[in-house]
Amino acid sequence: MAVDFGGIKMKNPINTAAGTFGQGWQFEPFIDVSELGAITTKGCAAEPWPGNPAPRMCEIPGGMMNSVGLQNPGVRGFAEESGEYLADLTAKGTQVICQVAGHSTEEYVRALELFCELCPWAAGFEINVSCPNIAAGGAACGSTPEGAAEVMRACRKVTDKPLVVKMAPVRVAEIARALEAEGADGLSVINSISGMAIDVHTRRSRLSKPTGGMSGPLCHHIAVRMVWEVANAVKIPVNGVGGVMTGEDAAEFILAGATCVSVGMANFADPTASVRILHELEAWAESQGVSDINELRGAVIC
Amino acid sequence: MPQPSSARLHEFRIVSNDKIAQDIFSLVIEAPQLAKTIKPGQFMNFEVPGNAMSLLRIPLSFARADADAGTVEIWYAVVGDGTERLSRMKPGDTSTVLGPGGKGWGVPAECSRALLVGGGIGVPPLVPLAAELARAGIPFDVCLGAKTASELVGESELDALGAQTLSVATDDGTEGHCGFVTDLAAELLQQGGYDYVATCGPGVMMQKVAEAALAAGAYCEASLERMMSCGFGACSTCNVETTEGMKGACMCGPVFDASKVVVW
Ligand SMILES: Cc1cc2nc3c(=O)[nH]c(=O)nc-3n(C[C@H](O)[C@H](O)[C@H](O)COP(=O)(O)OP(=O)(O)OC[C@H]3O[C@@H](n4cnc5c(N)ncnc54)[C@H](O)[C@@H]3O)c2cc1C
Ligand SMILES: Cc1cc2nc3c(=O)[nH]c(=O)nc-3n(C[C@H](O)[C@H](O)[C@H](O)COP(=O)(O)O)c2cc1C
Ligand code: FES
Repeated sequence: MAVDFGGIKMKNPINTAAGTFGQGWQFEPFIDVSELGAITTKGCAAEPWPGNPAPRMCEIPGGMMNSVGLQNPGVRGFAEESGEYLADLTAKGTQVICQVAGHSTEEYVRALELFCELCPWAAGFEINVSCPNIAAGGAACGSTPEGAAEVMRACRKVTDKPLVVKMAPVRVAEIARALEAEGADGLSVINSISGMAIDVHTRRSRLSKPTGGMSGPLCHHIAVRMVWEVANAVKIPVNGVGGVMTGEDAAEFILAGATCVSVGMANFADPTASVRILHELEAWAESQGVSDINELRGAVIC
Repeated sequence: MPQPSSARLHEFRIVSNDKIAQDIFSLVIEAPQLAKTIKPGQFMNFEVPGNAMSLLRIPLSFARADADAGTVEIWYAVVGDGTERLSRMKPGDTSTVLGPGGKGWGVPAECSRALLVGGGIGVPPLVPLAAELARAGIPFDVCLGAKTASELVGESELDALGAQTLSVATDDGTEGHCGFVTDLAAELLQQGGYDYVATCGPGVMMQKVAEAALAAGAYCEASLERMMSCGFGACSTCNVETTEGMKGACMCGPVFDASKVVVW
């Protein structure tokens, strides 16, 4: 089941989606986290961010919407709180991918520098280019090929360690090509999809912000299509993210061309979901009569 | 490693699920391990089957736990799809629950007299607290509020636990004082003698109670509600703004030191 996600050597293809798996240790009462191929930690910036006011979540049919606003304790706080646990997890063979957040290219670089200094155990870093960019009036850096490329170019200079980019669900093929050209080692596709939910009785948004990011099964088939487009557009490996609730959902990403797969909101309803999905994926690979999961990558017939 | 949540995944079987007031049900579940470990003020997160489009659990407090019988009793109001589905579950039905989660009530060691103030469906977590106070021999008074008499819960249970006085307020005057429960609580607090106040109910109600407690020099704790996605510290959606920054209600709460709460 081993796969190579842009230099991040995973013992199996199951990863977790940033922001849905805490920093890993929250799940230890429920599963042996070290069974997973990798975990991706919650996005962290150089300095702490307070996040948005409540309410930050509402349930919608087939998923949920959130406006957490990347609340995080800053890289220093993150390393102090969870560093020892994550170093230990790495020693047990589960790769730790630390997600990097920022409001500008300079902030991404500063956060990545701090990560390199304080988290030497990290297998690689995931740059979340969906954060609101202050200079661009709040639009995400990652919403244009130029913006995404600029962040990638600056981050590439900081480290030779694997750098993957968490892509917003917009213009994915062209942005993927721009990121590949700037030296990205892998791509996580997709981040949550922007949506809006209104309480018609109070006429207010159901979140403290007008809009939020939609997650869950409702995004799965959009994500599968985008993974397929990206996998066809670039040579670097893809991590499929969006609405994975079962091993078969994960298998769909692999057939669409993903090297690995992240489990997101499924972790909330069922804290054992990631390990269950791993076992279901193993059973599927066996049912397909292959001994190596890599043989199934991109094997969709169409 | 930082301390993860005390919640564990339990299977439960429904013993009974009966209407006890207008749109309010009492659910008794058999979950021996949970019954043994849950502490007053902690909560559980229920998987309620029956809607494939609804994936998240429902957080609920408990009103009573019986370690010997292995049962936990929950009082819940039917307010939407999830609680409606829960109300249709029958004795013998099974599902899963995550719990016990969060930080419960922290009665100060030196507490000599307590006041419990509950509004609407905020009453349940005050019941196990009253039982704890009774066991510790700490005298307590209770103020309960509801929109109308038919929505009032907990009166007989709190009385049976030995409340020294129990006063009721309803918005429409169908029982007790016609007006807000905060009027009753403020009056009692003005008379003095309390060093601990515990409150659960609508945010504005708790805020008023906290102000009155502060003025009376009593330590006040409040049990807050937030939209929760996981219930065990993994998602950061359950934030409470406090004087010490954003705190997750599922791990640092749901019971908070009321003097530190900024947004109710
Ligand atoms: C720690 C905690 C303890 C709770 N204890 C109890 C209890 O003992 N008894 C009880 O009846 N209720 C309790 N609640 C509230 C209960 O969780 C919600 O009423 C329930 O989730 C509503 O689900 P629904 O699908 O029926 O409603 P929905 O259709 O989801 O929503 C209906 C209405 O309920 C509100 N609501 C939804 N979720 C929550 C939530 N998590 N907190 C507050 N309001 C919400 C919505 O804003 C909406 O106005 C508690 C909540 C928390 C966070
Ligand atoms: C509560 C919550 C917090 C999230 N936080 C982040 C984050 O910090 N960084 C990020 O790139 N994506 C974040 N996401 C998006 C997920 O990583 C994932 O891309 C998305 O939820 C789709 O996958 P899913 O349907 O499996 O949940 C968050 C999602 C949720 C529900
Ligand atoms: S509900 Fe997920 S962190 Fe509190």
